[in-house]
Amino acid sequence: MIEHGPLLERLLAGEFVCPISDESGYRHLTNEETREEIDTYLRPLNRRLASNEDGSVYFLAWRQLNDNARDQLSRQLGDTLNSLLPLLEWLQLVQEALGRDTLAAPGDVLKPAEFSAKCEDNQSLRERLERLATDSFFGSQSDQLDAQVKQVFKRLKEHGYLLQPHSERQVFVVTGKIDYLVDLVRFIRDEENLPIEEGSEEGSGAQEALL
Amino acid sequence: MSASEHALESRLLKTGSERLALLGKHADVLMQAYTRDEVPLESLSDSALRKLLAARILWRPDEQSGVKLAPKVRELIAEMLADETRRHVNADVAETLELIRALVHSYREARSRGEHWRLEQQLMRLRQEVDDLNGRFADAIDSLWQRLNSDFGFVSQLNDKIRENDRAQKQIARLLDGLALIDFDELIELVGSDGSLRKLLISQLQQQLSNHYTGLREVQRRLIELMARFRKQQARSRLISGMAAFMREHPGFVPGNYARRSEVPGLVNQAAPLSAAAAPALDRNLDSRLLAELLHQLPQPRHTTQTVEAAAPAQAQESSLAAARQQALKQDVEHFYLSVIDQPQAEPVSALEYLHESPLEWPEEIWLFQVISEYQGLPRSDQKAFRLKQQESQASQFNHLRLIHDVELQLAV
Repeated sequence: MIEHGPLLERLLAGEFVCPISDESGYRHLTNEETREEIDTYLRPLNRRLASNEDGSVYFLAWRQLNDNARDQLSRQLGDTLNSLLPLLEWLQLVQEALGRDTLAAPGDVLKPAEFSAKCEDNQSLRERLERLATDSFFGSQSDQLDAQVKQVFKRLKEHGYLLQPHSERQVFVVTGKIDYLVDLVRFIRDEENLPIEEGSEEGSGAQEALL
Repeated sequence: MSASEHALESRLLKTGSERLALLGKHADVLMQAYTRDEVPLESLSDSALRKLLAARILWRPDEQSGVKLAPKVRELIAEMLADETRRHVNADVAETLELIRALVHSYREARSRGEHWRLEQQLMRLRQEVDDLNGRFADAIDSLWQRLNSDFGFVSQLNDKIRENDRAQKQIARLLDGLALIDFDELIELVGSDGSLRKLLISQLQQQLSNHYTGLREVQRRLIELMARFRKQQARSRLISGMAAFMREHPGFVPGNYARRSEVPGLVNQAAPLSAAAAPALDRNLDSRLLAELLHQLPQPRHTTQTVEAAAPAQAQESSLAAARQQALKQDVEHFYLSVIDQPQAEPVSALEYLHESPLEWPEEIWLFQVISEYQGLPRSDQKAFRLKQQESQASQFNHLRLIHDVELQLAV
C-alpha cells in the first residue's frame, strides 16, 4: 500500500487521475487488484474508487450516502452547473479559435499565446473571450486580452481541466477531466430529455443499410 | 506465322513508344487538365490534339463538351502522385480470372501443337496478368495505409474524414469480395500437371493473395477503429455545442438534484476533498533526531529581527485609518457644499467661517484644500452651479506665489 501513498493523497485531495495528470498512478489503477486494495483502504474514510464509463479517469466517490454526503453533493452539483456554460463556451471558443473541427481532448496541447493571437485578429472571438473571461467562474478583472487569457487558463488549471507541465512555460495539456465533463453533459441531457442531437445528421447509417 | 507475329510486335512497339512520348511532350497541358476539368485547348495545336485523342490520352465525351483527360490517364497520374483524393481502387478480379482462364487454354493448345514461340508469349502474358493482379492489390493496400496513417489528412473537415473512411471501408469490402472470387480448387484443376503454370498460378499466387488478405483485414480493423474515434469526436462536438446552445436559450434551466435521489448516479457521486495533513511529532526518539537534523538544515533566515512598526498588519491598520479619515473629511466637505446650496438668496459662505462655527475639528489648511479639490473634482456642468472665490494674497513681491487665506463658495444663479 505504501507505494500508492502519493496516488492516494492525490485522490483524497479530490483530484481526477488520468493518463495525462498521473501516468504511473493511472497505470496502477487499471490493475484490478490495486483498485481493490485502495478500496479497502478507503472504506473507513467512507470513500470508494470510481471512474467514468470509459474508465479514462478515476476519482473518489462516497461509499455510503449519508445526509452530510448528500448535502455536499448537492452543493457541488450546484457549483458544477454554475460553471458548466462558461466551460462549454470555452471549449467551443478553443475549437473555433484554433480552427479545429474536434473538441479539445485529453492530451491536446494548448498555448495561451497562440490562443491570444487568434483572438486578437478576430473581433468576434475577441468579444466572446472578453465575455467569458469576465464571467464569475473565470473572474478576470483585466481588460487586457493577454491577462484575460492567462486568467482563463489559470482557472482551468486550478479546476484540473488543464495541466501545466513546466511552471515557467506557458504550455498546457488537456486532462482526462474533460472526458468527465462531457460525460456529465451527456448524462444531464439524457436525464432531462433535452432536445440535443449527438448522432450524425447525414444519416450515414441509412447509407450503410442501403448497401 | 512467326514473321507476321514479329511484324505485329515491332509495330506495337513503335506505336506504343510514340504514344508514350506524347505524355512527356504534353506533360504540362495534361497536368493542367488533371487539376482542372477540361484540357486548355489554346495551348495545343490541332495535330497534337488529334494525336492525343487517337492515343486515347484525351477524349471528348460528346460534341458539345470540352476535351478531357481519359480516365485511365487520370488514374495513372493519381497513382504516380499518390494523390489519395483521386486514387482509385480497382478490384475487378472477375475479368482477370476470365483472362487467365483463356490464356491457360491457349497456352495448352500451343503446347499440344508444339508452338514454342506462342507458348512463351502466353506464359509471359499470364505472368503479366498475375503481376497486374498482385500490383492492383498491393497498390490498393498501399493507398489505404497511406490514407489511414495520415488520419485522412488530405481532407480537413471531420465530416469529410468520416466520408473518406466510409469510402475506404467499402473499397476494402470490394477487394475482399474480389479475393473471394479466386477459387484455388478451380485453378488447380485448370493448370493440371504443368509445372511452370502450377508455380505461377498456385504456389506463388496463393502466397501473395494470403499476404494481401492479411493486409486488408488489418487495414480494415484499423479503419473501423479510426471511424469509431471520428464518430466519437463528432458526437462530443455536437453534444457540447448543443448543450451550450440550450443553456444560452434557457438561462433558468436547472436540472434535477441528482444528489437527493434514492440511487445517486455514479457520475455525480464525487466525494469531498480530504487533505492528508501531518505535523512534526516528537514522541519517537528516532524521529526527534531526524527532526533535529532537519531543523539544523533549515536555511538561516535573512532578517533576524523586525521592528514592530514595520510589521505588515500595523501598517495595514494605519492605512485603513487614514482612508477612513479621508472619507470623513470628504463627507464633511460635502455637507458644507449642501449648506451652501441651502443658503437663502444664494449668499456666499466662507469655508473657514463654516468650519469655525461647526463642531468640526479639521485643521484649516486641510479643510480649505479639500473644499478646493472637491470643487475641482466636480463635473464641469456641476462646477458651473457654484462660484468659488479665493481670498488670496501675494506671498512676496519677488515672485508670483500666492497664499490662499480663505475661500468663499456661492451658488451661481
